[in-house]
Amino acid sequence: MKHHLLFSTLLTAALGLQAQGTVKIALTGPFTGGSAPMGTSMRDGAKLAIAEINAAGGIQVGGKKMKIEAIERDDEAKNERGALIAQELASMGDLAGVIGTVNTGVCMSGDRYFQEKGITKIITPAAGSASMTQWSKAGVKDLSIFRFAADDAIQSSMVVEEAIRRGYTKVGLLFDSTNYGVSGRDDLMNQIKLQGGKLQVVAQEKFNIGDKDMTAQLLRCKLGGAQAILIWGIGPELAAVANGMAKIGMKAPLIGGWTLSMSNFIDNAGRNGNGTMMPETFIEDPITPKAKAFIDGYHRTFNVGRIPSPVSAAQGYDAVYIFAAAVKQAKSTDTHKIKAALEDLKEPVKGVIATWHHPFSKWNPADERTHEAFHRQQVVMGMVQDGRVVFANAAEKAQLVKAAGK
Amino acid sequence: MNALIIGQLAVSGALMGLVYALIAYGFQLTYATSKSINFGQGELVMVSAFFSLTLLDLGVPYALMVPGGLIFGALLGLLVERTGVRLALEEKSEGWVLLTIILGLFFFSAAENIWGRDDRPFPTPLSQNPVQVFGIDITRMEISVAVGVFAIMGLIELFKRRTLLGKAFEAVSADRDAAELMGISATRTVMLSYGLSGAVAALAGILVSPITTVGPTMASAMILKAFSVAVVAGLDSGFGVVLIGMILGALEGLASFYIGSGWREAPGLVLLILALAVRPTGVFGKAGIRKV
Repeated sequence: MKHHLLFSTLLTAALGLQAQGTVKIALTGPFTGGSAPMGTSMRDGAKLAIAEINAAGGIQVGGKKMKIEAIERDDEAKNERGALIAQELASMGDLAGVIGTVNTGVCMSGDRYFQEKGITKIITPAAGSASMTQWSKAGVKDLSIFRFAADDAIQSSMVVEEAIRRGYTKVGLLFDSTNYGVSGRDDLMNQIKLQGGKLQVVAQEKFNIGDKDMTAQLLRCKLGGAQAILIWGIGPELAAVANGMAKIGMKAPLIGGWTLSMSNFIDNAGRNGNGTMMPETFIEDPITPKAKAFIDGYHRTFNVGRIPSPVSAAQGYDAVYIFAAAVKQAKSTDTHKIKAALEDLKEPVKGVIATWHHPFSKWNPADERTHEAFHRQQVVMGMVQDGRVVFANAAEKAQLVKAAGK
Repeated sequence: MNALIIGQLAVSGALMGLVYALIAYGFQLTYATSKSINFGQGELVMVSAFFSLTLLDLGVPYALMVPGGLIFGALLGLLVERTGVRLALEEKSEGWVLLTIILGLFFFSAAENIWGRDDRPFPTPLSQNPVQVFGIDITRMEISVAVGVFAIMGLIELFKRRTLLGKAFEAVSADRDAAELMGISATRTVMLSYGLSGAVAALAGILVSPITTVGPTMASAMILKAFSVAVVAGLDSGFGVVLIGMILGALEGLASFYIGSGWREAPGLVLLILALAVRPTGVFGKAGIRKV
């Protein structure tokens, strides 16, 4: 018995020592299923950053260098699974923080376990407004959840902006019947009003997950004289819309949320997807040395010719660097101290999307932008062209090259 | 212009409705001989579509992929008959209901594990450009659905009427016990019907995949509509399922345009409720005499 006790004490000590040697970061997201292109790209982008940091000896934490240890959890885009994983991670005790989550529903069901224990989490790439507004609505005073994604408010404003910029006056609105689609519709309607009501909405049409025949919805848009279709949905149904437009000979472009850059839209729509536009935080185009190094590194490490979701990969990558900077500044792996450091990052972080100056600030329940890293200027418009996403506007591309040259 | 819209919606819908009809026809085939249906028929559609896609990926030419997929579907049908239906029928129990559902779940999990959960495009040799018929846009894929559905149903009906084996099929459908007394093996005939039903499911998968993409859940919405079609039309008339399938499909299209896109499923359900309330044997069904 005594021996047992001694043994277990030793074991605990040994485990404790081992845990002290690393910075534990959990990476969560759907690595299988319909949202998997986003989940795996985010994970792999994050792992690329972790590998780079570890190869350089790790993060300088106080007096010593510590390596990052990644803990991966597949939530399968299921809310209930996300909640279970959050509970498991929240009870780990020595976790430095969490990076990930693709689906807003999973944020809604799981993030409260992190918040209860004050565990620092950076949400990326889930974009639904609700995952942050839930905290401002609840009036939470101190929040350990941060977001590193262009939220739907930014995206919808850009979609409307693009339609106006291209001189359209009549648009059709298509959205899926999920929470994501309906709130996207509300955001778009709101933005049309905010941007001076220059767009006339000739049809507002809904479709369900799994619908393949969009003829009725599209005919309504066509009859109304829609010059573009603003759309909020997920890959396979978006592809059905693009294919349905080709069928009835409708030429109007699709403009919508960044889900239009998912491979399951691009592949299933094929040629019919050309000309589709969506806001993007990162485009797989080696326009700067940093972007080239990242893209080449991703292709080489994960043996692919095209990143399944470049946006998710780049955000996962930058999120890890920002997190690492917070660990360094906090001089600790304590998740509460890391949170405080994230709210006031002193040094700029060089990422692949941008150089991040003070991305987050002290949480203010009246303004969830305090915990949102992205602003309009970090987002560009992408366009589908022959199976890839390219820059929709040459000016935005030139601006990024110029900014990197500084 | 208005007539053109109605025409476009009705034709697009009716062509999709033919796929529901083809799946419902698969129910009819097995119901005729054994008074049982495969509740996992949707999974047969899906697994066969995945198998056919794999054949194409392996470089099998399209013309060989189609018979390959059909044979695979027929084998799956036979597997369902052997493992899920035969014993239950011998016991004169209704166990096949649960067993075919379980087999369907098994196929679903197998597909998820073998092919993954993503929707994948299914290549087609047909051009994407639509053709115009009286001002109505129809894609070549939709035309291929109609041709395929009528071809296989026509062939099977001819087979039932013109060949000896087909006549045995009809005999078992009419009266199983009497047919057995005439020296026809009812078990073999039931096997045949399940094989045919599997092949029909596979064809439905191959025809619809270029339109819907291939994924584990591709048939879950269609199968419910196929059930509606089978119930409304009755389980006896091949002509009935075609007609009701096309009407249901057309109604769906029209409803989502005129009532609103959220009401797409409504006409099918109303039709189903009406049929069950007014004609439980189906519009084209025969009221059977049941010995108690």
